[in-house]
Formats: sequence, structure tokens, C-alpha cells
Amino acid sequence: MKIALIAALAALSPVAFAQVPQKISLPPQSKLIEDVIVPVPSEIFGVLDNLGPSPNWVAVQHPIKTMASPMSDQPQTALLLGAIIAEGFVAVEAKDAEQVKQVGKSVLNLAKYFNVQKEVEKRSKSIIDAADKADWATVRKELDGALEDVKAAMNKLNSGQLAQLISLGGWLRGTEALTAVVGKSYTKDGAELLHQPLLLDYFDKRIAGLKPKYKLDPVVAKAQKGLIDIRPLIGLTEGSDISEKSVQEINRITSDLIKSIHSKDQ
Amino acid sequence: MKRFAPLVLSLFFLTLGLGPAHATIDDALSFALEAASPYVKEGFTVREDYWGGDLPVKSTKAIVHQLFKGNEYWFWMGTDQKNAKISVHVYDSAGNLAEVDAWQKPHFAAARVVPKKTGSYYLIVEVEKSPDERTYWSLAYGFK
Repeated sequence: MKIALIAALAALSPVAFAQVPQKISLPPQSKLIEDVIVPVPSEIFGVLDNLGPSPNWVAVQHPIKTMASPMSDQPQTALLLGAIIAEGFVAVEAKDAEQVKQVGKSVLNLAKYFNVQKEVEKRSKSIIDAADKADWATVRKELDGALEDVKAAMNKLNSGQLAQLISLGGWLRGTEALTAVVGKSYTKDGAELLHQPLLLDYFDKRIAGLKPKYKLDPVVAKAQKGLIDIRPLIGLTEGSDISEKSVQEINRITSDLIKSIHSKDQ
Repeated sequence: MKRFAPLVLSLFFLTLGLGPAHATIDDALSFALEAASPYVKEGFTVREDYWGGDLPVKSTKAIVHQLFKGNEYWFWMGTDQKNAKISVHVYDSAGNLAEVDAWQKPHFAAARVVPKKTGSYYLIVEVEKSPDERTYWSLAYGFK
């Protein structure tokens, strides 16, 4: 009877893996799927919230005073769009509904420039509605969705390279915010969040593969140099500590890049 | 008539229960997201981005992905082929099994990771069994 009961329970439960190898030889680079999913800022910010006293996210914000408008060229505007979406994630952490709404409007305005506003209209509205209700989980989800929708729509328009610059802009702003928080109250665990060699390699390859007219864009060229400068600071080997000095240096590099992305004088 | 040809063809295949376009990454993604759905109630944020493709039986694909210590992750794999057996497992950058939990069911497989370190992890997806020559799969993930 007991055996029958166990057998019945086993049949109902999800199948357990009989022989999952405990250790494998890692596949060579050539056998890997090339698609890299870049983490959204909230994926990292949430860890900081759990590490210690809640960071002062308001101090980390770069408030958008007026609705963001396109820059003089497409690559810089793509970087700006990514940075603005990341600013939305910072505003969510700061629970700043007005800034989130400003981000929602700015994303739509920049999407218009790339002819992908149709894909983002619904997301933008949802971001604004959810901010009004202080429904931060929905705002995070819709910001992530807006990012994916813009990139997917731009890929369809054969603007995949610009879509990659949107990801880079978001990563730069997210990293700037992360280093600002970690730099204010340094801990090894907080600094370890910067150990992202995979993402640096990914962006480096994407920039290397850009059309010459995009690669020669002054802001893109600056970003490429910035990534090279950041690489030795993020802990080259697994488990190596990232010093307070390195955190501050990464913050200086990313802050400088974000200023360039927002500047009309490039 | 040419405009309606695809519709007529689709209806024909639907009648036969074949549906030539039914097996796609999007369908596989629907199953992956279905697997994810109960975890949303547990506080997991499901990313909008995902991986996908098609694989022959007994072959694997590897995806490198950045994970952060302090988060908890679920990876959900889906396929629209009910009779396929699929799996997803997660290894750290030294090749050690890193998952703390994993399961398989018809249409689905999943693995949970609580990273001990921040860094790159290897997600190994496999179609273990399938009546199809190639089986569509999709992999989504969530964190909290």
C-alpha cells in the first residue's frame, strides 16, 4: 500500500533529474549562443536594497527637467534612449512618480524619432498610469517591455545596430547609478555586482561590429574607449575583489560618458 | 485569390490538424511563460527578453548569462511539442552545477539558481527526446 502511494506521488510530482552531471567541460566560444540578454538595472538595484540600509536613490537620480528630445544623430539618440529608460528604473527605486512620467513621455518622443512610436505608445501610457498609482512593479515591467519593444521594432527596420546602442546607453546609466550607490557606502559584496566581464565583452564586440559611420560618432568612440578603461577595473578573475578606488574610477568614467550622451555639443 | 491563398492553406492544414506554422519559437515561449506564471505570485520579475531556437534530439546549446549574487533566479524552458522531453541546467564558470532546484514536465523544464558569486553562468538547454527532427524551444528567466 505504502509503495503504491509513493509511486502515485512520484507520478504526480515533476520528474526528478536522475543523472545531472555535477561538473562539465565548458563549451568552446564557438558553440555558444551569441545572444546576450543585458540585465535591466532593477535586477542589480534590488540586490543593493537587500545588502544593507536602503540607498538614497533620490541622490542618484539625474532628474529630467524637460521631455528628452533627439540629438543631432542617430547613434547618440539611441544611447540617450537607453540612458533615459535606465533613468526610469532609478526613478522607480526613488519612488518618484513625476520623474517616471517624464521618462515615459521622453521614451515616446525619442521612439518617434526612430519611427517606432506605435510599438511604444501602449507601454508609455502604462508607465504613466502605473506611476500615478505608485504601482512600481508594473512600472519596472513596462520599462523592461518598452526597451524590448523598441529594440525589436528597430531590428525589424534593419536598425539592429542602433538597438544595440540603446542597450549600451542603458547599461552605462545603470552602471553609473550602481557605482554611485556602492561608492557612497563601500562593501565588497556591493562592489562585486560590478563583476560583469561578459557584458563588457558583449558591448565591445557590438561596437567593433558597427557600421563605420556609427563607430566614428564621437560619443560612440568615447563609449568604446570608456569600456576599454573599465575592463581592468571590474575584477578580471572570478572572485577577485573590486576595490573602492576602482568603483570610484568606474563611476567617473560612466558619469563622463552619460554627460556626453546628454550633451548637444558633441 | 493569391491574397487568400495562405488563409486557405492554413485552414486546410488546421482541418488536418497539422498546422505547418504551429511549431515556432513564439509558441515555445508561450509555454515557458506559462511555466513562469506561478512564480510571479512568489515575487519573481519575469524579463521580457528571452532566448530561443530549434534543436535536434540529444543535442545541447549553451548560453552564457550574467547573474548577480543576492538575487534568486528561475529559468523556464518551454516547447510546444508535448511529447518532447527538454531540460535546462545551470553551471558556474568553473563548470560546476550551480542550480539548487530543477524540474521537468511535458512542455516544460526549469532550474533555480541562488548564485554564490556575481559573474558569468552557463545555461545548458537540451532536447532529450522528441518525435520531431528538430524541436522548437524557448528560455525565459525571472529574478527576485
